Amino acid sequence: MSINHEQSIENNDDIIIIKDLNKWYGDFHVLKDINLRVKKGERIVVCGPSGSGKSTMTRCINRLEEFQRGSLTVNGVEMIEDVKNIEAIRREVGMVFQHFNLFPHLTILENLTLGPIWVQKKPKKEAEAIAMKYLERVKIPDQALKFPGQLSGGQQQRVAIARSLCMNPEIMLFDEPTSALDPEMIKEVLDVMVELADEGMTMLCVTHEMGFAKKVADRVIFMDAGEIVEQNIPEEIFNNPQTDRLQLFLSQILDH
Amino acid sequence: MKEFKPLPDKPAPADVVGVIPWLKDNLFPTPLNSLVTLALLAFFVTVIPPLFDWLFFSANWSGTTQDACTNKDGACWVFVIAWSKQFFYGSYPIEEVWRIHTCLIALVAIIIASFKLHKDLRNKVAIPLFLLLPFFSIVILDGSLIGLAYVSTDYWGGFTLNVMLAAASIIVAFPLSFLWALGRRSDMPFIRSVSVILIEFFRGVPVLALFFMGSVMLPLFFPEGTNVDKLLRVWIVLTLFMSGYMAEVFRGGFQAVPSGQYEAADSLGLGFWQKTLLIVLPQVIKISMPNILATFVMLFKNTTFLLIIGIFEMLSTTQTALANSNWLGGHSTEGYLFVAVVFWICCFSMSMISSSIERKLDTSHRN
Repeated sequence: MSINHEQSIENNDDIIIIKDLNKWYGDFHVLKDINLRVKKGERIVVCGPSGSGKSTMTRCINRLEEFQRGSLTVNGVEMIEDVKNIEAIRREVGMVFQHFNLFPHLTILENLTLGPIWVQKKPKKEAEAIAMKYLERVKIPDQALKFPGQLSGGQQQRVAIARSLCMNPEIMLFDEPTSALDPEMIKEVLDVMVELADEGMTMLCVTHEMGFAKKVADRVIFMDAGEIVEQNIPEEIFNNPQTDRLQLFLSQILDH
Repeated sequence: MKEFKPLPDKPAPADVVGVIPWLKDNLFPTPLNSLVTLALLAFFVTVIPPLFDWLFFSANWSGTTQDACTNKDGACWVFVIAWSKQFFYGSYPIEEVWRIHTCLIALVAIIIASFKLHKDLRNKVAIPLFLLLPFFSIVILDGSLIGLAYVSTDYWGGFTLNVMLAAASIIVAFPLSFLWALGRRSDMPFIRSVSVILIEFFRGVPVLALFFMGSVMLPLFFPEGTNVDKLLRVWIVLTLFMSGYMAEVFRGGFQAVPSGQYEAADSLGLGFWQKTLLIVLPQVIKISMPNILATFVMLFKNTTFLLIIGIFEMLSTTQTALANSNWLGGHSTEGYLFVAVVFWICCFSMSMISSSIERKLDTSHRN
């Protein structure tokens, strides 16, 4: 089913290599034979109905979810049952969540410096300089000393993006970053993500924002019932769906 | 294009703000409620003046013996005043009382410091000082280690003993119970079962039974000839009892921390202890603050149970005073009222401190 799969199988420079990944929740088979390879700098949008396994697959990449069969390699490190190994992979992968998940007891600046100080062992001054740099990039340096609860949803999500970027990750995962936002705030978050994409960050983004997919994605992956049903460049996915399932999905999300 | 202008704000109408509408809404909204209001008013008018008269205006304040209490219609505060040293310090030698004061001042100073210090210093300075305080106090009060006159724990007593026992138990129980709560959530079956057994044992057995076990049964398990101080055993029992309760309070707090917080910490690559201490613990404490305080107050009041096993804390000192042959004039009302008021003042202050901590920790809607 996967179109790029056969050509890229020899290329071991791919930054994410997922091979025959299977996952069960008890008896429920949530991910079925997932095969996916992501090149460095590639921008991938994952879409599909809820319950299709798109979030679960994304969360497997930084081991927020375990999987039972198959293999997963991130930036040349294979994921194995080992705390040091998992932490090493997590340092390479930034993640942005639907509900932001900022730390409510810390200021914006402390949210951003926490990782650099405690994980990367950077001195506080340096971590703060990095944090301010990324806060400027997401255009809210003036909020640095506030607490997350004082910010709007869009601002919080931009802080969350900045928090991940402070760790200087190789890959950024986005798990429905705009689904919990008011319509007027979606744009400010998408603008930041488009900018990030333009700078060449490897991105894997679960989203329902089809406009964003058309604009920045190198490849769109459509999932349903725990499988990758189709993957292709955005034009082909939207204009020339190969399966009835994708056709139905597109007609339902684009028709209103 | 038409410009959108929001409507200007208007002042609230006169019949919804002010004293008369408030009275009407809160005290006299319906005939039945008006009746209740009047009945309560009548009750207060009949009860309060005689009460105040007994407490203050007709009360006997000066003198040193029971014969000074000439006005039988008033309280005999002479009794409380004459025994106040024993109520507060037990039979601790009166010339050495400064040591007790030193410990109490240290306690208050550390509490104030943990409020006033800058956030970065607070954890590094206040927490170690808190943990050292019980041992510092023992050394000072005992005296033999630092060349002061030795005062055996048999002489420690009074209200200051209640305070110091409660404080020392809380300070040790805090980290211990957090570990137990953490153990109860652990994936490792051994650690989990040990934690569950400890928590459920110390929560399930009445505190009086624990005190008896501590004072009567525990020595049977020590090798012959070792004499573990009675007060030390009580301290251990209180600490473990407190830990059992606090562990459950913390467990509730753990469950209230959204899973997204763990995931965010994980995705940053934080290790287990970093995640637990930097992300989870502060939020757990914030969520559990009201229940932590409730447990503190309970433990503090439970220290009066120690009179049963012959520790001279405030309540048993009061009973001793009431049984004194020079004071057999029936002063139990005054004595127990005084104990109640002293405890109430302390518990109420703890409530105030706790709500101020809650406000300080509340970062959710501060604009």
